[in-house]
Amino acid sequence: MRFLALLRKELRESLPWLLLAGLLLLGVGLLTVHYEARFAHMRHQHWSSHSGLGPGEVVNTYDLVHSPHLAWVAMWLAFIAPGLGLVLGICHFWVPLFARTWSFLLHRSTSRMSILAAKLAAAILGFLISPGLVWTGLYWYACRSGLLIPEPIQILVAGWIYIVIGLVVYLGTALSALSTARWYTTRIFGLAFAALAAFLILVQWHLGWVFALAVLAIAILFGQTVAAFLSREF
Amino acid sequence: MAEIVLETKGLTKYYGAKPALDHLDLRVPRGCICGFLGRNGAGKTTAIKLMLGLLAPTAGSASLLGCDSTALTPAIRQRIGYVTEGHRLFRWMTIGRLEEFQKAFFPGQWDSRLFADMIEYFELSKKQKIKHLSNGQRAQVSLALALAPNPELLVMDDPTLGLDAAIRRQFLEGMIELITRQGRTVLFSSHILADVERVADRIVVIDKGVLRADCSLEQFRTSVRKVVVYFENSAPADIELAGLLHFRRSERQLELTLVGVGDAEVADWARQAGAGRFDFVEMNLEDQFIEFTAPAHRRRLFQWEKA
Repeated sequence: MRFLALLRKELRESLPWLLLAGLLLLGVGLLTVHYEARFAHMRHQHWSSHSGLGPGEVVNTYDLVHSPHLAWVAMWLAFIAPGLGLVLGICHFWVPLFARTWSFLLHRSTSRMSILAAKLAAAILGFLISPGLVWTGLYWYACRSGLLIPEPIQILVAGWIYIVIGLVVYLGTALSALSTARWYTTRIFGLAFAALAAFLILVQWHLGWVFALAVLAIAILFGQTVAAFLSREF
Repeated sequence: MAEIVLETKGLTKYYGAKPALDHLDLRVPRGCICGFLGRNGAGKTTAIKLMLGLLAPTAGSASLLGCDSTALTPAIRQRIGYVTEGHRLFRWMTIGRLEEFQKAFFPGQWDSRLFADMIEYFELSKKQKIKHLSNGQRAQVSLALALAPNPELLVMDDPTLGLDAAIRRQFLEGMIELITRQGRTVLFSSHILADVERVADRIVVIDKGVLRADCSLEQFRTSVRKVVVYFENSAPADIELAGLLHFRRSERQLELTLVGVGDAEVADWARQAGAGRFDFVEMNLEDQFIEFTAPAHRRRLFQWEKA
């Protein structure tokens, strides 16, 4: 009951940003898929007419291998997800500082950990639904709608890696917001660590390393954020 | 002896090398309405935040309802109502939504009827958004949110701050009605003595983080007094009188602000100083408070005048 009230509040405060990110991704995704589908169709028609084959009789191997449509959407996601992480981090941890609502929020008949857990749960849920669900839906749509040839599963995974990076940025922003040190000392740690982790995750080619680095970064930032939140003065 | 609901022992808070609160010792018994007074920046908010565990003490301790403030459990918090300074609420929420949010933390304790009555009394609507409310209206919503769960202890941090006189009066009248009819313990901070005077049966005065007075309103009223002493020749430059807070000196006249000094002691001192006569000046509570917490630079100014 108490946790749900907190979760509802955090989700409601995050909603505009989640909607914005989801709609942006959906818009870019649908436009790209349909635009690319038209091009693929035109190329197919052109190729077919010159080869003497009817429509649907030939699989266009060029499109199958090189079609960049979802990869292009994933590029957008590489900016949308960390951007969303930054904005949600600000929304959950900076705004109450500026609006001075921490005192009201913290004097609840619940533990501090529950208050933090509600914020983190709202962020994870938010990332899962938008852009996570939107991205997976776009992949499914691109594969199943008949508009385009199947996409390699790696594209889907790449998109999810960007979403995990978004979560890393969220935790980094939270940690910087909760720090009471000066920016030029340890306060920058959260954001700098998140940026470094994101970079290291992005430059990996092996999925196992990506997974290991992501888990490590999230674990470190999560631990630091919890410690900072539980001990911070408000 | 009444149960002690709120207690601080040597409660101290430093920000760097600067003390915001210095060894505050306080005991508030059950049923007491305690006015917590101090000028802006005196350390009232720091003290309240320390009591509620929002700040960690540098030294000393505080306990509320028998629980140490650094480890207040959810069950204890459920028994404490808190009106934050500036009435900072979630701006995007409507009053109704804020009620739903608050209610979730007081299962089986929330008095929906009382909340509705208060909202009606203050001429508000549950559909109104917090961001569209004035300061005074937000104060009223804060009060309703803090009182609806019927807390045993109500802590209010300068609830009338920033309100104009009319709104302040309406707010206080609502508060008095609700507080007195339920007999709860209240700690009510303010820098406006007239507000506290209407509500409190005991006052605690802090100045620059130091406890200056902890007594009944009546004791304070009788303790802080001003006397004008007239001299036939020039007034003395040096004044040795226990209980002297500060003084103003003119050619043949001294205006002394005293605390805890009886008529006989004043008469003795006046005779020894060669004064012709002296008169006690009527002061209202506001004047007494202002004189009592007069900043140190005023004393320096008078010393300079003296020289």
